[in-house]
Amino acid sequence: MNPSSFEHELERRTKKQSDRIAELQEEKRSLEAVATEQRDAYDAVFRLAAIVESADDAIISKDLNGIIRSWNKGAERIFGYKAEEIIGKSVLTLIPADHQQEEPAILERLRRGDRIDHYETVRQRKDGSRVDVSLTVSPIRDASGKVIGASKIARDVTERKQFERALTEAREQLARANEELEQRVEQRTASLREAIAQMEEFSYSVSHDLRAPVRAMCGYAKVLMEEHGAKLDDEGREYLERIIRGGNRMDRLIQDTLTYSRISRREMDFHRVALDPLVREIVEQYPEIRASRPVINIKGPLPDVIAHEPSLIQAISNLLNNAIKFVEPGVQPKIRICAERRESCVRLQFEDNGIGIKPEHQQRLFGMFERIHPEKHYEGTGIGLAIVRRAVERMNGSVGVESDGLTGSNFWIQLPAADA
Amino acid sequence: MNDAGSVLLVEDDDNDVFFMRRAWKKADVTMPLQIVRDGQEAVDYLGGTGKFADRAQYPLPSLIFLDLKLPYIGGLDVLAWIRSQPELVQLPVVVLTSSSEERDRKRAAELSAKAYLVKPPSPEMIRDIVQSAPQPDNVRS
Repeated sequence: MNPSSFEHELERRTKKQSDRIAELQEEKRSLEAVATEQRDAYDAVFRLAAIVESADDAIISKDLNGIIRSWNKGAERIFGYKAEEIIGKSVLTLIPADHQQEEPAILERLRRGDRIDHYETVRQRKDGSRVDVSLTVSPIRDASGKVIGASKIARDVTERKQFERALTEAREQLARANEELEQRVEQRTASLREAIAQMEEFSYSVSHDLRAPVRAMCGYAKVLMEEHGAKLDDEGREYLERIIRGGNRMDRLIQDTLTYSRISRREMDFHRVALDPLVREIVEQYPEIRASRPVINIKGPLPDVIAHEPSLIQAISNLLNNAIKFVEPGVQPKIRICAERRESCVRLQFEDNGIGIKPEHQQRLFGMFERIHPEKHYEGTGIGLAIVRRAVERMNGSVGVESDGLTGSNFWIQLPAADA
Repeated sequence: MNDAGSVLLVEDDDNDVFFMRRAWKKADVTMPLQIVRDGQEAVDYLGGTGKFADRAQYPLPSLIFLDLKLPYIGGLDVLAWIRSQPELVQLPVVVLTSSSEERDRKRAAELSAKAYLVKPPSPEMIRDIVQSAPQPDNVRS
């Protein structure tokens, strides 16, 4: 071989070698790329598996016969079975006897390719205890799209269920408590109504039965006086007079007490009352007022008020009777009636020329059975003004008196005005 | 005097019967006063049943004074019964009671009571009522 051809041959081989190296290097790079790809894929699978494994939820796969094929740590935590204990067994193992009918329906839906979301039901642990779960079941398909099994994610909702049950219970308890409360209110109202009815029955009996003997005593004393008075001497007739006066007083006391109790508990509905015609009517029509021939001067027109008319009539006639009764003997009663606005109220005043009430007695004046003046001079039960106060206060008003105890009194009642 | 019409008093209290008779006498009213003592007797009398079947002895009254608090059947129930009887519906009934109760007055007015009087009855009261009562001719008996 000549040197030149040797060199040429060497050169040729060297080039071939280096081509081969380049080829190999290229191959290595591509192999490395495949390895990296495979490692990445493996990493991804591993990561997914790790996610599945570490999830809180039970992630289970099963085939279309309901045989369990995979089992994560979450499933172990929730159901108590280890993967090696349960894989290969039927999912029916996890379903309590009274829920077994659910599985065929689930499988049927899976075969159709349906997905089942958040199906809340009950499953059974290894120890036999029950666990509330929320199930999401999705079909698993092979490369050709055929359903070959299912993945099943079971979330333990025991705590939430317990919370819900507690909430429901609490709601029910609340409802029961409300119901009880309502019942109690109803019972109380009923017993209150009964008490009022009994009170009414009582006062009805009092007004009839208690007054009957008093009326009889008084009546017979009057008959005795009329038919046999002449046979008695002055002293005897005086005693008989006292019996009659006592009986009359007793009867008035009973009547006034009844009026007071009626005023206290009667139902009142308030309306606009035209005060001016009402006062004039009382003055003109009440016989007790007309009997003592008073001079009554009404400075009208009196404004309208909001009141319960029968109670207002009672109050006004009592005040008028009072003004007429308490005058010095032989003095003609003079009453001046007027009204004035006081903010949102109307004050109705009765100025009389009577004996007046000293300021130190005015406090007691509107109390029950309070009498300021001695009985022998002025008849009365001491209830009349108590009735006025009770009636006016129940109508959201007030009552009072101004007097120096010498030159008459100025009684007033104040009631809500009808016009603002 | 039965043909001049009579008046029926429905009253259980002896004293009140006494006072009514006395006021009646003083009022100088000629119509006789028949008396029954409870609500059941009042219904029997007006219905002409039982011992009251004889209308000659117990004529149908042309006016009634009716107490309200009565044994067996209360006065207002007697009044309601009277108003339910076709032959008595026009009969004037005066309530004569011991107490003026709002609810009684109201009910009595609803049942067309002629008047509502509070005891004791006075001769003037009786004269006023009897004079304004319809003549016996107008009342079926």
